[in-house]
Amino acid sequence: MTSKALQLVRPAASRYETLTLLLTAAILISAQMLYVANLGRQETEEQIYAWQISSFNSFEGADQTIYSALFTVKDEVPYIYDDVNRFNGPDEKFRWPNIEDFQEYLVPPFYHDTSWEQSGSLEWLLFEPVAEGEMQGYSMYLGTNGNLDKQGSFLLTIGHVHAGFSNNNSLDIWWHSQGSIAMPESGFRDTLVRKGWKLVIPYSGDKEVKRIFGE
Amino acid sequence: MQEPNTFKGFLATFVATTLMLFTILIAPTANAQNLQVGVTLHPYYSFVSNIVGDRAEVIPLIGAESNPHGYIPQPADMKRILDMDVMVVNGIGHDSWAFEILQAAGAKDDLPLIYANDGVSLIPIAGDPSGAKVVNPHTFISTVAAIQQIYGIARQLAEYDPENADFYRDNSRAYALELRKLRAKFDGMIAGVNLSGFRCATMHSGYDYIMQELGLNVSAVIEPRHGVEPTARQMADTIDRIKASNVNVLFAEKYFASALSDTIRDATGVQIYSISHISSGPYSNEKFADEMLENLTTLASAIRDVANLTATAP
Repeated sequence: MTSKALQLVRPAASRYETLTLLLTAAILISAQMLYVANLGRQETEEQIYAWQISSFNSFEGADQTIYSALFTVKDEVPYIYDDVNRFNGPDEKFRWPNIEDFQEYLVPPFYHDTSWEQSGSLEWLLFEPVAEGEMQGYSMYLGTNGNLDKQGSFLLTIGHVHAGFSNNNSLDIWWHSQGSIAMPESGFRDTLVRKGWKLVIPYSGDKEVKRIFGE
Repeated sequence: MQEPNTFKGFLATFVATTLMLFTILIAPTANAQNLQVGVTLHPYYSFVSNIVGDRAEVIPLIGAESNPHGYIPQPADMKRILDMDVMVVNGIGHDSWAFEILQAAGAKDDLPLIYANDGVSLIPIAGDPSGAKVVNPHTFISTVAAIQQIYGIARQLAEYDPENADFYRDNSRAYALELRKLRAKFDGMIAGVNLSGFRCATMHSGYDYIMQELGLNVSAVIEPRHGVEPTARQMADTIDRIKASNVNVLFAEKYFASALSDTIRDATGVQIYSISHISSGPYSNEKFADEMLENLTTLASAIRDVANLTATAP
């Protein structure tokens, strides 16, 4: 009787219970680690041509600061253009905002503040094309001669096309690896590419929304 | 003699009652004709309020004291979302719960959304130890990226309310200038200060946009992902990186405190300063500008303190 009472009775599947528990824990931990590692990760690699450069993947430090500010200027330039030409007389030539105008409006990256100094104190120059009929052509803002190591130059081009009553401006931002460079002779894409300029491609919010939610 | 007075009294009462009824019935109708603009985050409340003035209503989707990090949708959110004509969202990872609320309320295909970051050039999270390029969704803790969003929101709101398009554009420009003046104030606070010794780390990636626009590099970020605490190994690596980079300042979160910042201070000797994520407290027109000025003032204090310490160091 006594020996039978002390007999050890094992559950039929004890080994499998432990194994299942360990496997489940391992799967849960791995899944969580994978989720955390991929939280917010940019998975879509955009196609970038040799004559382009990605602001998201390639820019750091001062170049990134200057580009982000220029990207906002693209929105603001037409507004300031309207302001500076609002009281023009009938024969007065329309003009694009100059560097002094941007100082007045406190607009980076032109505005001379600590951020401008931290970002290499780029010299900004405006090139306004000679008026061809109705001011068609390219206006360009060149930022160059920065004082940081390995700093590039930036170019904001504004192309104007007048066709009948239509008045279109296309604004692009270009980057050159040379820290010191002269104002290009033309804002046409092929000319700039031949001179080593690269069109900057942003990773903008609309692309991230598409990545998250699909087309 | 009594009769005319009674008639006059009746007439006066009738006119007053009619006017009162007219006011009660018509006023809400006029109000209801205003665009009802929903917003998911505190900064968007301030942005939209400053753009629309009194010509639209701004409706926050979640309660003022709710934490937008890991927010769990509430039944009241669904009711609020049904009152909106259009909603402004971050859309790149900081308000994913808004899409759950849209789905739950059955408004996913009906409510138009304004993606505030559509026209913003995004940057990766700074100081990621793996070097991975991970999108940073905190575009609203900034002035440059905030202004870009304000212009974008104003343009898109104008499409829903074309009669007020000029009004919205002018307000967006005035608000942008107000935010630019905050930067100018910050510049005045650190005029003549030597920034060469300033090295900072941040508790999370929320401050990358403001640091970037001010030209301040972030050497390390403590949380491997927003809201995710580091493992012991990651923490040890980060502490090593802070020491190796001579980091002297750690920016922690004002609203969502973490004991980790004290651990890092004890291990490295960094000074801790708190910055606002601008995502809690009462909604108001002024909140964004007020808290951004507070953040810039804190940054200026940190920069001045480091410059003083560096100048007096043996």
